[in-house]
Amino acid sequence: MNDSEQFSVTVRVWRQAGPKEPGKMAAYKVSGISPDMSFLEMLDILNDDLLKKGGNPVTFESDCREGICGSCGLVVNGDVHGPDEHSTVCQLHMRRFSNGDVITVEPWRAKTFPVLKDLAVDRGALDRLITAGGFISTNTGAGPDANATPVEKDKAEEAMDAAACIGCGACVVSCPNGAAMLFTGAKISQLALLPQGGPERAKRALGMVEAMDRQGFGNCSNEYECEAVCPKDIKVANIARMNREFLLAGLISER
Amino acid sequence: MDITFIKRFISASIGRKAVMAVSGLLLGGFMLVHLAENLLLFKGEAAYNAWVDFLLSNPATPLLELGLAALFFAHIITGVWVRAEDFMNAPRGYEARKWQGGRTIGSATMLYTAAALLAYLVYHMLTFRFTDHSMGFYRMVTSAFRKPVFTAVYVAGSAALALHLSHGMQSAFQTLGLNHPKYTPLVKIGGVIVALAMVGFALISLYYLLGADLTAGTASEAIIQ
Repeated sequence: MNDSEQFSVTVRVWRQAGPKEPGKMAAYKVSGISPDMSFLEMLDILNDDLLKKGGNPVTFESDCREGICGSCGLVVNGDVHGPDEHSTVCQLHMRRFSNGDVITVEPWRAKTFPVLKDLAVDRGALDRLITAGGFISTNTGAGPDANATPVEKDKAEEAMDAAACIGCGACVVSCPNGAAMLFTGAKISQLALLPQGGPERAKRALGMVEAMDRQGFGNCSNEYECEAVCPKDIKVANIARMNREFLLAGLISER
Repeated sequence: MDITFIKRFISASIGRKAVMAVSGLLLGGFMLVHLAENLLLFKGEAAYNAWVDFLLSNPATPLLELGLAALFFAHIITGVWVRAEDFMNAPRGYEARKWQGGRTIGSATMLYTAAALLAYLVYHMLTFRFTDHSMGFYRMVTSAFRKPVFTAVYVAGSAALALHLSHGMQSAFQTLGLNHPKYTPLVKIGGVIVALAMVGFALISLYYLLGADLTAGTASEAIIQ
């Protein structure tokens, strides 16, 4: 790497010792940044510096660092997952910034996602939504023949698009009301579109919507901020499908 | 009789939003009919009063009026309920936060236009519904439009309604699960057309405020005198 390309930024980052502790922003200068580094690598450098100086490293979540696991969620300069469209923050690169920039980094903020430490939040509420019906029940045993259940190609594609959701929670924290409708809509849709999701569809729609309300996720005001930030470009048509599933289940099903 | 499913329906976020959506769509339809009725003013005093007489002499009218009140009531109650919850659940504490382009002026101001419309509705009821009708309905309406203060409030009410419907119409379809690339573009365009039509209320009142009916010769003789 050419040293002359290296630059420095000031990172203003949310520091919070624990769930019950008050938090505040703290500013750190980070030097020796290459434009080819990812945003998370820049935070790694910051943490190395902090450790060498005997300080506390900044806690943040990451796993795959290739945009498919949904662990890394940060608000960078007010942008959920950073300034790139339909991207996770691990896919953000430092070439998007210039020498001397001041970068504000905040954790996901939602009533349902309490901050655990610094930039790490508890997204367990999304897992609890899944346990309320985001699955199918089937007997285990020998795998069925792949062609035993015909699936229309278009439906398979649509289901796959919905299944691209990585459960990062960007939809919740970008929503003016803290709603989880895009997440739940995607999870209901990926099963509703396939024959395997058929048998439990009413139970699933009623259960997951009830779980959403119970956990304190907000109502949808159809402003579509979620669709605009979703790293997997999940469409709000999935929310409409969830609404259909719920309305039909509530009014027509025998449940 | 087990009505648990109704309770479950209305206490669920999507259920009560469906009530808000259906009542909103019906109220939007009512506003279009109301606009058509206001356009009858242009046909002159006799035509307008004849229509009002027809409405008032119809035995179904009180029932329809009750139904309309119920729609308003359902829309307002579910709206307040949803918004109160949203207020409590809204993400808080962002130092910097940028909206990403999903929000529109109409969607971001729904609560404010709703409050303005509720205030306007009360004013409208007091000035036209629960008032002295002895001068005749045509004259009551046109003389009100000739008062600048009244027309200013009326224009503001129309603007709030147009803004409210610019988000509300397409939002109602989405809430009812009606979103598909096949027809959603039509729904969105239709919503904007209905919203823009609400400006018609303002234009009609301004027509009378500016005395355009006097120069056009459509005013009743009594008013010219």
